[in-house]
Amino acid sequence: MPIQTIQVSQNILDRNSEIARQNRSRLDAAGILALNLMASPGAGKTSLIVETVRALKNRLRVGMINSDTTSAAMDAERAENAGATVIHLDTAGRCHLDAGMVRDAMAQLPLRQLDLLLIENIGNLVCPAPWLLGSHLNVLIASTPEGDDKPYRYPRIYSGVDALVINKIDLLPYVPFDLDCFTRGVAALNNSLVRFPLSCRSGAGLDRWFHWVSSANTSLVEKFAVPPEAS
Amino acid sequence: MHELSLVESIKDIALHHARAGGGIRVLSIRIAIGDLASYLEEALATYWTEISAGSEVAGARLEFVRISGELLCLSCLKRFPSKRLDCPCPDCGSEWVKTTEGAECYVESIEVETSP
Repeated sequence: MPIQTIQVSQNILDRNSEIARQNRSRLDAAGILALNLMASPGAGKTSLIVETVRALKNRLRVGMINSDTTSAAMDAERAENAGATVIHLDTAGRCHLDAGMVRDAMAQLPLRQLDLLLIENIGNLVCPAPWLLGSHLNVLIASTPEGDDKPYRYPRIYSGVDALVINKIDLLPYVPFDLDCFTRGVAALNNSLVRFPLSCRSGAGLDRWFHWVSSANTSLVEKFAVPPEAS
Repeated sequence: MHELSLVESIKDIALHHARAGGGIRVLSIRIAIGDLASYLEEALATYWTEISAGSEVAGARLEFVRISGELLCLSCLKRFPSKRLDCPCPDCGSEWVKTTEGAECYVESIEVETSP
């Protein structure tokens, strides 16, 4: 049997990026702004989503893709009770979302009846970073009890996001979190992100976040089409 | 476990190019991985056996080529080799660095068996 070598030179993430572009087109056609929310477990992704849905539901129709590594859907229920249209996505142990999973979840959502789509990624500061989903904005939620060293230890995820929420600022008097050290670490990686220090528990800083989310629209965020990963 | 999604992509890419090139079976796949890409060869190989089963890529050997990591210091513009993403600049000590090489992961080539 003859043997032949075929040159390929194709980035392994290309296929994911292609599906992400299709997701983006579908979102744009439906007039939906999509946010990819990433964080470590326990940073407050669901709490921020619940507060956002509650605050904006009279103005915007909010959908949520809730992902977990199991079928446990308590986060989905919290968001649904707050007023969102929710799809629960069980990743069966996978540590991040990819564009294909988001495409399949979007197919189950009534896209024509939504204005804002909040995609809750798997709680993880490593694996979600290089995977484009098609979202308009990538948001990282940090929280003060995690410590101020996170930008130094998880540089890739910090360098690829458009906005940074710093949650649980009400705990600043009680936890060793040096905001200057944290801010320096973030600025070294990503000078262009917008920061939202807030507390989902006390409500401090939430209004600014609500205002930003509700005034962002798909035409303003074209520049975020740039993939976060160097290839 | 993010290697699982990568392995699925590798399979798709190999199948696509093998079919387009008239291959009936894929013998090996050469994959280039950057030192800063944080993907483990062992994990890719483990998933490969399972994911490749039952297709023209089943049994194909995965060969890895490493690409060295390089960072650029955004303070003094020195380029320097690194095996870590967060290595400070050896010249000026700045932690403001950017990855310029070694974050990539791509299928370089495939070896296929064609009809005689």
